[in-house]
Amino acid sequence: MKRPHLKHLLAACSAAMVMMSASAYATTIGVSMAYFDDNFLNTLRQAMADQAKSMPGVKIQFEDARGDTGRQLSQVQNFVAQKVDAIIINTTDSSATGRMSQIVSAAGIPLVYVNRKPAEDTLPEKVVFVGSDENVSGTLEAEELAKQLNYKGNVAIMMGELATNAAELRTKGVEKVVAKYPGMKIVQKQTANFLRAQALDLMNNWIVSGEKIDAVAANNDEMAIGAILALQQAGVSPKKVLVGGIDATADALAEMQDGNLAVTVFQDAKGQGRGALESAVKLSKGEKVEKNVMVPFQLVTKDNYKQFMGN
Amino acid sequence: MNASVNSGGVVETPARRPFKMPVEAGIFLVLVAIALAFEALGWMVRGESFLGNSQRLVIIVLQVSIIGLLAIGVTQVIITSGVDLSSGSVLALSAMVAASLAQTSDNARAVFPMLTDLPAVVPVIAGVLVGALAGVVNGGLVAVTGIPPFIATLGMMVTARGLARYYTHGQPISRLSEDFTWIGAGATPVIVFLVTALIFHVALRYTRYGKFTYAIGANAQAARVSGINIGRHLIVVYGIAGLLAGLGGVMTAARSATGQAGMGMGYELDAIAAVVIGGTSLTGGVGRITGTVIGTVILGVMTSGFTFVGIDAYVQDIVKGLIIVAAVTADQYRMRRRKKA
Repeated sequence: MKRPHLKHLLAACSAAMVMMSASAYATTIGVSMAYFDDNFLNTLRQAMADQAKSMPGVKIQFEDARGDTGRQLSQVQNFVAQKVDAIIINTTDSSATGRMSQIVSAAGIPLVYVNRKPAEDTLPEKVVFVGSDENVSGTLEAEELAKQLNYKGNVAIMMGELATNAAELRTKGVEKVVAKYPGMKIVQKQTANFLRAQALDLMNNWIVSGEKIDAVAANNDEMAIGAILALQQAGVSPKKVLVGGIDATADALAEMQDGNLAVTVFQDAKGQGRGALESAVKLSKGEKVEKNVMVPFQLVTKDNYKQFMGN
Repeated sequence: MNASVNSGGVVETPARRPFKMPVEAGIFLVLVAIALAFEALGWMVRGESFLGNSQRLVIIVLQVSIIGLLAIGVTQVIITSGVDLSSGSVLALSAMVAASLAQTSDNARAVFPMLTDLPAVVPVIAGVLVGALAGVVNGGLVAVTGIPPFIATLGMMVTARGLARYYTHGQPISRLSEDFTWIGAGATPVIVFLVTALIFHVALRYTRYGKFTYAIGANAQAARVSGINIGRHLIVVYGIAGLLAGLGGVMTAARSATGQAGMGMGYELDAIAAVVIGGTSLTGGVGRITGTVIGTVILGVMTSGFTFVGIDAYVQDIVKGLIIVAAVTADQYRMRRRKKA
């Protein structure tokens, strides 16, 4: 290929891009997600995409940080350079948000943190959080397990990825509840990184350790399902070992329907996604938005799971 | 040591030598030592036996069976002095494809609503073929374009993961038929792993396929001169590695009754670790499946052992890293001594 040829091509491309952005009267929103392929975050992303479709003139661009804080930071910097109208961040690391808030607010662009709460004490102007109070989810899960156990028994906790806020707070929630009841005790506490396959192996190891486990409180549904699969394969009845999860994913609700999952907690991915996008659009128009938009968790048991199906 | 190839790379029959310890003996002793350490810790910390529980012995192998499947393929690639970084991602892609063809018709959101309730053989073959295809592409890149294996398989690692995500736009694939999930239930993965190991142990030691593989790794130039079609053979070796990654994907999907794009994340490194711990040399030409099996079981013993005595997951990774480094150091030392002799 000859040089001038390439130059022409580049010129044509950039001209086309200028024309495209000029014709875009739209509100452009850049979204950086911690992970694309996480079961729950995927629902959240889908909810934002659906919501954007229903709002005429709103264009949304997703980036996958793949769990890497550095990658997320450069994605945010790119959004700023691109002069998007608002940015939504689902942070990879709750303690690494300070720098991102700084960069975005210095450029005068509104910023919405979604799902994972930033660790900063006070968020700068035009920076808000949309999510759920993680202190509640573990407590809801454990209280229901405790009730079904008649407030006595041995509990094993399956933790998520140790660096995440969710794993920490959900685990704390379970521990607090168990500590309340003298008949209950935590006998195991290990991580399976929010993953089904790892949870299966962990549960297998717990089963052969011979320890008496009456309930497994998992930090998310994927791990709860892993535990259920291990129990089934070991021929243990789901009535003998209660398994609890969090998220109320479609798979988990199906397990509940089959009587294998005792409890899960609905985290409203759609509500969070919708809320985040609405807040971002409002902020970009200069409207006021609450600093912390809280989307409530809901307890899901065999009595009410049907209303969450097909969600 | 497999003596069928001397330093010149010329294929010859193994020479009779005075009794010599097989290379695996050393790594087998490491395995025994680690197991006994956990046995002792078990009595100290929990007051019960670590090894005296047949169920646990199965689980030790079960939880690394899929890593082991990948490692069998990677062993052969490394013997040719190549490397395969794509196995974990290829596993994910195969798992997605297999799962998408194993869904039941009661699923309102099936990936292919027209293709539900298929016999289990369809997803199995599809998953394995997707893996084999990825492997053949790897081999073709290495053989035809001369791209270093590290780069070629790195490209496949990223691409296959991307395809796995793209396949359903990140949506997990669930509600799989019982015929299919049965394949991964219970101890079936252990059997698949050990049978596969046996097949490739025989293939490497007693067939022309094996001789060519060692010859290419020991000295590619000499192998070419002695008339081996190196390109074609590399495509076969990488193809087999891909096929086994595909089989791993099928087993993973069946075992956890779901297909998810994030599956097998980091498995390629565990597989390479198992291979290296097992005494296969990264410089090529040396290595055995038996060593890889022992290396794999060592990883399993560590996982179960740490859970058994209740040690933090982070510490587990640190120790795993140290053992890998120690194994490679020992390998280097052995190689140097061998050259001197």
